[in-house]
Amino acid sequence: MYPQLHIPDGFLSPQISLLLWVATAVLIGIAVRKTSRTDVQLIASQPILMGVLGAFIFAAQMFNFPVATGTSGHLLGGVLAGYLLGPWAGTIVMATVIGIQALLFQDGGLLVLGANIFNMGVIGTLGGSFVARGASTALGGSRSASIIGAGAAAWLAVVAAAGFTTLQLGLSGTTNVSIGLPAMLGVHALIGIGEALITVAALTFIAQTAPDILVGVSAPRKASPVRRLAIGVVIAGGVATLASLFASADPDGLEAVAEQLGFLDAGLSAPFELFPDYTIPGLDGTASTVVAGLLGMIVVIGVLMALGRLARSRTKS
Amino acid sequence: MQPRSVGRDARAAVITTLAFVTAVALLPPGSYLALLLAWLLLTFAGALLGISPGHLARRGLVALPFVVAAVPIVFLRNDELLWAGNIGPLTLQISGAGLRIALTALLKAWISVQASVLLLVLASPPSIVTALRRMRLPDVIATSAGLTIRYLELLRDEARRMLRARTARSASPVGVGRERIGGTIAWRARTTGNLVGSLFLRAYSRAQRIEEAAASRGATGSLSVGTMPDADPRLTIKVIGVLALVLVLTLAGALLPRL
Repeated sequence: MYPQLHIPDGFLSPQISLLLWVATAVLIGIAVRKTSRTDVQLIASQPILMGVLGAFIFAAQMFNFPVATGTSGHLLGGVLAGYLLGPWAGTIVMATVIGIQALLFQDGGLLVLGANIFNMGVIGTLGGSFVARGASTALGGSRSASIIGAGAAAWLAVVAAAGFTTLQLGLSGTTNVSIGLPAMLGVHALIGIGEALITVAALTFIAQTAPDILVGVSAPRKASPVRRLAIGVVIAGGVATLASLFASADPDGLEAVAEQLGFLDAGLSAPFELFPDYTIPGLDGTASTVVAGLLGMIVVIGVLMALGRLARSRTKS
Repeated sequence: MQPRSVGRDARAAVITTLAFVTAVALLPPGSYLALLLAWLLLTFAGALLGISPGHLARRGLVALPFVVAAVPIVFLRNDELLWAGNIGPLTLQISGAGLRIALTALLKAWISVQASVLLLVLASPPSIVTALRRMRLPDVIATSAGLTIRYLELLRDEARRMLRARTARSASPVGVGRERIGGTIAWRARTTGNLVGSLFLRAYSRAQRIEEAAASRGATGSLSVGTMPDADPRLTIKVIGVLALVLVLTLAGALLPRL
């Protein structure tokens, strides 16, 4: 189950490829400006550290662990790079790694390199790092909170990269989004768990063995409750959007089969359903899906805040 | 094989490859004759460089598995139906238009991979980075890419040794008779994460040593000093030739009959 996210040439239309090259070039340009005055000065020479850690990400992608016969989880490393180097330098490192994979190993095409960097480097690392920081802030900002945040972001980064890849293929006319999206999101929701577990374990290992290295990295910050709430809302919104893509694209396979075979009525409904079929009774179609999504978001934020309180009480005691 | 242009200006090779891949990507679906022309040009260039077409063709197969992404449109598009029928409870149809898109994408991917294989025959990885730096790639990226290439094999070798050590200690995680050796999935993930973590620490301390060594020799954090080879004097002529090639391929795509 190799995460097949490196698009080869020929599968994206030239227009989409060029558009994503432009988007990637702009964001990498910003990253280059940001790293020239970075706050993460691990060692004096940023490019040397970035270069060697690029080789590290490359090598770390070889580590896999078998999930079942013939299926193994392995690392993409985007969020890990973002956590260790900061979002901007991490993005440059991932862009370099993806570029070298295309040039030297033919893993992904050249004209579509912009798209591949966008999906895995920009969405995965830049987006993932900000999600990780946000989640860590929302959880109370301790070291363990930041590692849990990175784990959650690692999962989200893999799933989002898969989603973006499929949408680009769909826009290019090389895949059918209504079939491809649930399939890709479903497979990568599993792969993402492997990514999250490895990321959390690696960061925990580094935090325990060499805490001094991590001192300068993603320093825990204090944030006001309002700010934390705002960040939580943004993240939960992202997750809710992804989840509703799932829900709308694949209207519950088992239910569909049951309906066809005519035994849907024979099934018992659940003792209680908060939002039956993700809709609110009395509201129609899209509006009710949106309201249900928002209510779900509030629940997620509540859970996040509760976990944050728990994390803080654990650090105090 | 030793790349031809070690220490030479590789800009012409890089530009040719990018232009060729772009020209191939621009071909409309179904232009098999134009794709055949592109492939003939490529294998001819390969033969001139001493690479057999069979070897190139096999290297091109790397991109093959991605065609899975294009499979749905073969069955889901409703135009130019070639066949429709029932297989057991399933109703299936095969769309000619969908088949054409999938096949064209597959051929384009196969040809493009061969083009980038040829680039590596023409130019060594460091000379490609130098060429890209000449083409205004930001210095941070060029330096970082150069060092990544430089330390890639070293760290991959380290990773290989760590994996061998893990295999030697925990045996195969899923054994012959499907008996599970080596703990739960979470345990296996943690072991893998620990390997990643310790590889990071080794890479980090290596970066520190490189930094100290470089600083003691007066380095400023960029590899760009004094490493540029002489500029290719015939670059302009070569680029004009490349543009002509792109034009020929695009015209072939527009004029040759499509199936």
